[in-house]
Amino acid sequence: MPNVITANRLTLAYDNGEKEIIRNASFKIKKGDFVFITGPSGSGKSTLLKSFYGQLVPKSGDLMVGGLDMSTISYKKLQKLRTHLGIIFQDYKLINEWTVAKNVILPLIIAGYNLDMQQTQAQRLLKHVKLEDKADMYPRQLSGGEQQRVGVARALSKTPFLILADEPTGNLDEYSSNVIWDLMENAREQLDATVVVVTHRIPTIFNTPYRHLILENGGLHEVR
Amino acid sequence: MKSVKNHILFILPLLAILLGIESFMVFGRVTASFGEDLRQGYTILVVTDQNTTPETLRSVHPRISRVTPLEKETIVEQIARGIPNTTTDEIIQALPQFYTLHLDRYLDTDEIETIRTLLRQLPGVRRVETFGRAHNANYNLYTLIKVSLWIFVGFMVLTSLFLVLKQMEIWQLEHRERMQVMEILGASAMLRSGVLFRIALIDALIAAMVTIGLFAFLRYVWAPKSGITLLVNKADLLFRWQDVAVLGGTVLAIVLISVIVVVRSAGETRQG
Repeated sequence: MPNVITANRLTLAYDNGEKEIIRNASFKIKKGDFVFITGPSGSGKSTLLKSFYGQLVPKSGDLMVGGLDMSTISYKKLQKLRTHLGIIFQDYKLINEWTVAKNVILPLIIAGYNLDMQQTQAQRLLKHVKLEDKADMYPRQLSGGEQQRVGVARALSKTPFLILADEPTGNLDEYSSNVIWDLMENAREQLDATVVVVTHRIPTIFNTPYRHLILENGGLHEVR
Repeated sequence: MKSVKNHILFILPLLAILLGIESFMVFGRVTASFGEDLRQGYTILVVTDQNTTPETLRSVHPRISRVTPLEKETIVEQIARGIPNTTTDEIIQALPQFYTLHLDRYLDTDEIETIRTLLRQLPGVRRVETFGRAHNANYNLYTLIKVSLWIFVGFMVLTSLFLVLKQMEIWQLEHRERMQVMEILGASAMLRSGVLFRIALIDALIAAMVTIGLFAFLRYVWAPKSGITLLVNKADLLFRWQDVAVLGGTVLAIVLISVIVVVRSAGETRQG
């Protein structure tokens, strides 16, 4: 299987490079992998994920995502890469002025799909996350679990090759969390996508084979 | 309700700017017309001996556009009714030559005084009458109108620009999150700013149409019935269709600059 993400002696830092948070990390994530990255608070889990979608530029070392060098990537190419990623956030990052359906199809709007295609996809995705009856509602009218389902549907809408999830169940109860994990397992299987999840805790019931990386003291160690 | 309020908050300063600019153009035309009337009505009277020619007088200063000799015969005819022709001829012969000098634009008092001095230095010139006091009063009034207009329009535009800046801050708060989410998901700057552009363009269109409508109404409906001679005769001073281009260009520039500033300030800064 080809590598989707490759890091070689990767160092990430904040504050103009003064505060190093990850040092000399080397790892590979292959196509179809389901990877959990765990670690204590402040260990740099979210920082690492941000570097995967280009919000943080590596201080040193190499980081390749989808074959693109994230240290030297141009803004135009980065935006293009981002349209092929599915990103899920802990705080959902939905657009509150838009309906649920419009939020779901945002990646399709960005990609310039026509209206018919957008509507068809919105119905399909909302059915997939069991929110078809809430298409015309606004995010603030939904519960946290429902909002995250909208976030997942949005992340899956353009068939991404890589799904990046930052604490996707961090704000949810156990039932809602399980629904989200199910959706993500299905996504990996159905889309043949690579999934990288940053989380505090790996779910106890999880059927998909996965890898587990722990981020600690600036280093990344594989434990499974 | 909030949306209507936001539209009004942007339309009002735009409207003030456009009204300021259109008023400036209108007053500019009115003062120019006033200046032109003053210029046409203003002449310098020169009394010379018989040997001075109009060309000599004209060459004194580049602003002198026309020199007209006054017909002595007409003057004498009116004051010497009943006097024998031979006597009238003698009067005409004895009288000096009178000229009226027209200027090509309305000059200030200092420039008039310069011309007066130059004319006085010519050999054969006996007297120069510039009607200084009347000219001075008219010129001061003309200058006062122009300066007041500049101050009024400047203040209006400045205040409105501050209101536009305030609206940009509101936009930043309202749209920052949406634009940042869209950017992380790969949207181009064009797409991110699309919503804002649409809102701003609608507001700009409304403000421009209100301004154009108001001044077109003044020109085509109000002015002809106003009874004010200047406006009845010169209604086109109030509005010209060329003004639409100036207003449209201004409002478009404001919208473009405002939206670009908001989009850029909400843009992601890649850390590292």
